[in-house]
Amino acid sequence: MQILSHLTDDEFFDREKVAAQLYSLASRCKSAQVHSLVSPHPEADSGRRERQNGRALNALLLGAPRTGKTELLRKTFDRLFADSDDLAPIYFTFRSYGVNVERFARDYFSQFFAQFLAFRLNDRTLLALAGEALSSLTQNTSSEDYFWVRNLVDSFIKAEQENDPLTMLRLALNAPIIAASQTRVVPFIMLDNFHLLAAGAGQPGDDAARQLLFTEFIRAFTLQDSIAIKTGADCVISPGYVLCGLRRVLVEMMPADEGVFERLELIRLEPLAEEPLEQMIRATANNLGVEISDSTAELMIQQLNRDIFYTRSMLDAAAAAGVRLKSFMEFERLYTEEILRGRVSHYLDAVMREVAADSRLRRAAIEALVLVMDSHSAVPIDAVMERISAFTADAEKLLLRMHARELVEINFGFVQAAADTVLADYVQARYRNEIAGARRPLAGEELLGEKLKHSYKLMMSRYNRSVEMQLIELLSRYDFQAVPTVLLDDAEYEKLYRRMSRVQARQSLEEDTARVRLPQMVLVDDLGRGDLANASWRMFAAKGFEGGIYSEANETLWLIALINSREPLDEDAVQHIDARLEAASRNLRIGNQTKTVRWYISKEGFAPLAKKPLQELKAHRSTYTQLDLLHDFLLKSAAKAGQSRSVNEVELIIPIEDEAELIAVRTVEQIARAADFDKESINQIKTALIEACINAAEHSDSPDRKIYHRFAIENDRLVISVSNKGKTFGWMNSANGNVESSETAKGTRGRGLKIIRGLMDEVHFERTDDGATLVMTKLLKSSDSQ
Amino acid sequence: MNGMEVKAKLVEGTAILYPGAYLNQLRGEVIEHRCQALLDQGVRRLVINFAETELINSIGISILLGVIETVNAANGTLLISNLNESNRELFEMLGLLSHLCIEETEERALAKFHSCA
Repeated sequence: MQILSHLTDDEFFDREKVAAQLYSLASRCKSAQVHSLVSPHPEADSGRRERQNGRALNALLLGAPRTGKTELLRKTFDRLFADSDDLAPIYFTFRSYGVNVERFARDYFSQFFAQFLAFRLNDRTLLALAGEALSSLTQNTSSEDYFWVRNLVDSFIKAEQENDPLTMLRLALNAPIIAASQTRVVPFIMLDNFHLLAAGAGQPGDDAARQLLFTEFIRAFTLQDSIAIKTGADCVISPGYVLCGLRRVLVEMMPADEGVFERLELIRLEPLAEEPLEQMIRATANNLGVEISDSTAELMIQQLNRDIFYTRSMLDAAAAAGVRLKSFMEFERLYTEEILRGRVSHYLDAVMREVAADSRLRRAAIEALVLVMDSHSAVPIDAVMERISAFTADAEKLLLRMHARELVEINFGFVQAAADTVLADYVQARYRNEIAGARRPLAGEELLGEKLKHSYKLMMSRYNRSVEMQLIELLSRYDFQAVPTVLLDDAEYEKLYRRMSRVQARQSLEEDTARVRLPQMVLVDDLGRGDLANASWRMFAAKGFEGGIYSEANETLWLIALINSREPLDEDAVQHIDARLEAASRNLRIGNQTKTVRWYISKEGFAPLAKKPLQELKAHRSTYTQLDLLHDFLLKSAAKAGQSRSVNEVELIIPIEDEAELIAVRTVEQIARAADFDKESINQIKTALIEACINAAEHSDSPDRKIYHRFAIENDRLVISVSNKGKTFGWMNSANGNVESSETAKGTRGRGLKIIRGLMDEVHFERTDDGATLVMTKLLKSSDSQ
Repeated sequence: MNGMEVKAKLVEGTAILYPGAYLNQLRGEVIEHRCQALLDQGVRRLVINFAETELINSIGISILLGVIETVNAANGTLLISNLNESNRELFEMLGLLSHLCIEETEERALAKFHSCA
């Protein structure tokens, strides 16, 4: 049921954990009430009450801007409204209209009652009462609630007539506890944009009024029990409060009061992970009728920093303009439009107006942002203030507001740019057009060219990042486990495992008795990166303990170089990288007895001459394949992330290596059998798929060495898509994208495509920005023809 | 630890090879080497029994054609046996049936050699 929320359930992803935390908080408010009602032992009650006081019943919901905090609160409202009998959800958002005590008290009072009565009568139309005269609240209440509601409303109207804002405010803030004590229904109150009550928040309005409101709220959070007792309630009833808003301001607002923190839980909302975000993009695009490709979905994730608002804005803009987002060009063209003139541009304009009310202040803010963005590192705050002092007398205040809005980050006297490339593009465009006064081009935009250049690089760096993340995760799971020695020795691996498929290698690794015990890592540090003509690398330091005893003598330091090269790493490159690794490690604080271990991981392995210096260093040597296998070995017990694909669609990724295509064949066999394909058709599908895999692997120059499959059952057909991330497929003419048979090194081997065409009903290629997809369709024979 | 073993046996001067479940490049190359070794030892009658072979890919086919040429060049004979329906369809589709001598079963292939001897 959607009452306040904007997103449908199939567009709302990956928030179950945080939603469960909010539910748990809400149910604690409820259990506080139930305990006291059912307990036959009043003396035990007082002890329970003490313990209850120690448990958090309020929370701060913290998250970066645009991570979906408001939508989470709205969803929680909808779910509680639909599912709960005795937990009344209340959602209130502070407005930036300027803080006025009377206006706030009236708004809060009427919002609370409209939502509470709507819940009591299970009638969502009553939510509209918030905008009507207060007397309409009394008129729409049930006979059961009539007297206490009438009393409260009359008292409020009287205070209003007597021009007594403090009484109005207290009646508004105490309304939840009174309602709870009268009805045994516990209000669960979600307060959004609470940061607007912070003193000096840069908002219009009276700071004294803001301070009064804030103090009264804090009183309401901490004195819930005593208010309940004063109101004559026969049990402890504690409404729960969730405060949400700009996180940097919220945490600074909390007073150093044990009573507040005792009852306060911190709930953090992280940006969506890539997988659920991709699901969200696909679901939203589907709902909006926007065509996207795998590549543009990935680009969207990378370029928009996993930001839900930016992502939805792009998809909405594509739907409104009726354009597809199937190629990088289509995506970047729309992105440029959004940054310069679209919803994203207007949103960022509004953010800028919020931190800088007039045009001179905005100029100062843009100048400050350009300075910190161009420097690519932290800039002393004095330098930033000097740059903008010509435009504002109070540069520090402006910078603090920008920090609160997370446009910059201020730490220990240094200012750093936010990790928000969309903001950076917006700022650069504004600076170029409005401050530097660049001439408008006759057609096109400079930003479009920049983004197109950047997009391919961004996608490539994603593959490197995923390997880096895999390494970091793997290090954190060492935990004194014993692993096959061969995984840290490329020469031995080459000798024993080279001709094995991954499945065979995994099985053999299980049986391999030559093992080495790993340490347990407690910290992984980034030691920087570097490039040579044919190789780029990233260096890490991992510190930990060996032997299961946490003593100085057992401390260990692993210096790791992760190297992406097109060829096996040669001797010169090894020496160069080792010198860099050595230099980078000099700044690390390590004990006298710390044992140092080097680990070189090279994508394409090591040239024969490079092995000697590495042997002298007693370095571990692995390839990416070994890293992958080590990762599998260490994580084999970890539960696989659940697939939430449609039951009619299966995705499979296999590595490019000998016989991995059999994994795909076994998968498609099961799918085709379940879809009632006959034996002959199944064999044809299997043979065609083998050929597709061979060619995806053979010609791709694939950076991630993987083949992506999608098997979809659609009514009377099985559609198989086989993709790689390489420049082209074997038979695809790179110039025109056509499908052509080609002769290969194996002489007469132009047969693959002939086989596929002979065995499948439809075959075509789709070019993507970072690879190609072969789409094959097999029709299900009708029962007559079988 | 190498999983690419190809079973073979010698019956009265005829070598019989079993490519296994999947004839691909790896297994094709192993068969190629085994056949060459057998030819070097003077064996001139060979049978490849596809009874256990569920899948053959295009690289496997290329190598197989190369093996047939090598055997022919050495004045030997190579017979194919126990080809299942799918694999027969594959060879037919590629127009290779005329290049292959196919017998229904291994026994028939052996009998054919012995009747010629």
